[in-house]
Amino acid sequence: MIEAYNLTKKYNGKVALSQVTMSISRGEFVFIVGPSGAGKSTFLKLVIREIIPTSGMLKVFGRNVGRLKRGQVSVLRRNIGMVFQEYRLLDERTVFENVAFALRVTGASKEEIKKRVPLALEMVGLKHKINSMVSGLSGGEQQRVGLARAIVNKPAMIIADEPTGNLDPDTTMELMHLLKDINGMGITVIVATHDREAVDKLQKRVVYLDNSEVVGDEARGAYLRAL
Amino acid sequence: MLFRNFAFFIAEAGRGLFKNGWMSLASIGVVAIALLIFGIFVLLNMNVELWTEELREQIEIVAFIEDDAAASERRDLSDLIAQHDDVREVEFVSKGEAFEDLKEMLGEGALEGYEPEENPLRDSYVIRVIEPEMVFGLIDELEELPAVGDVICHKEIVKGLTNFTQALQSAALALMLLLAITATFLIAHTIRLTVMLRSKEIMIMKYVGATDTFIRLPFLFEGLFLGIIGTVIPLACIYYGYGAMIELIGMDLAFLPVVPFNEAITGTASLIVPLGIGLGVVGSLFSIGKYLKV
Repeated sequence: MIEAYNLTKKYNGKVALSQVTMSISRGEFVFIVGPSGAGKSTFLKLVIREIIPTSGMLKVFGRNVGRLKRGQVSVLRRNIGMVFQEYRLLDERTVFENVAFALRVTGASKEEIKKRVPLALEMVGLKHKINSMVSGLSGGEQQRVGLARAIVNKPAMIIADEPTGNLDPDTTMELMHLLKDINGMGITVIVATHDREAVDKLQKRVVYLDNSEVVGDEARGAYLRAL
Repeated sequence: MLFRNFAFFIAEAGRGLFKNGWMSLASIGVVAIALLIFGIFVLLNMNVELWTEELREQIEIVAFIEDDAAASERRDLSDLIAQHDDVREVEFVSKGEAFEDLKEMLGEGALEGYEPEENPLRDSYVIRVIEPEMVFGLIDELEELPAVGDVICHKEIVKGLTNFTQALQSAALALMLLLAITATFLIAHTIRLTVMLRSKEIMIMKYVGATDTFIRLPFLFEGLFLGIIGTVIPLACIYYGYGAMIELIGMDLAFLPVVPFNEAITGTASLIVPLGIGLGVVGSLFSIGKYLKV
């Protein structure tokens, strides 16, 4: 599903990711861990083609993302659900409207939207808040709305960049279990995180980045054991 | 897909318009003022052109014949006029007819005491040419003939009106260009403000896989609405204003020809409407570019 060969990214000559070679298969749950500035977010940005590699190659769904045309980027992103640390929701809109937003851009019909949004919200345990304004929700609830928005398009992959950064430990574990459930449905999940406890408890594959390089990669690993 | 989301684009455009209410009003105001001024110039121009045309139609040369001109000299003159290619129509007015016309014009009694033998007027030819510009050459030829005393032609009026029409057109074009630039700038600024306020929304749209066209369309509609609303106001002003003006002219200046109402409104609208819509669309296209690069 993701294949990286000597993947390197530099910003104005400064190395953000260096010679990364790894692959992530369909249905895997992978934690990308490491200190700030290690290259975790850079890797995720490369996967969704927000940035392009300086050198090396990155294939997502079998396609070289560095060579994707502008029009093909939107197709790639419709197959990847994104979850962000700062939720990135539309505060002045309802939970329904926020989740429907992702479906609307794909050209889904009104009926389809009405059917699929409640299902996605049910999956994250927020169906009862469907008409609530997002601004009135707690941080955990907002992140679950973000997760519902990420899965409503039935993507092949979920990418979460520090999704628990603004959440308390209990809410963090709730969210991690939701991600695990989603992974159980065959969806590939990649989570960039600092959260040791969550990584240790879930016992999934851990890729450790440090100084822009992969320094550890362990199946069913723990945060530090990956080193 | 785009057609299915038409209602969504319209709703988003409306949301943008109300979110920046004051800026939207300012943009509509500038577009409306620009188009109103332009519309007034168009109407004025249409009417001045009509007056010029009417005057050009009426232009004539009056060639007075010397009383003591010999018969052969008179024949030379009538031959020249009859054979001249530029002459559209000609009428001979004898001094007797001219005297009668003058009496009729001044009213009975005004020339009382004058006997026909004392008639100071002269025989003349009233000549109309095919194109007004042809008068100049013909006048030169007529003046060379010994039978011709004076030649009268109000060519300066036509020349003046033609110059005025051209000046009016140039002024209208320059003013419109200036106003169009201002209006485009303001629309672009309004939409840029909307785009900035909605940059988070645009970013999310990009992340969930929206195409550039999908993102652009609500802003395009917003610009379109600004342009359309800005067009409706001057059109309404022109519609009612021109109607009232025609009524006023009909009462007080009935001799003045005016472009008929329907023709004037259709002519003005056919210029103002596409211009207003164009301003809105161009303004919105200017403003969104860099926010799409996510």
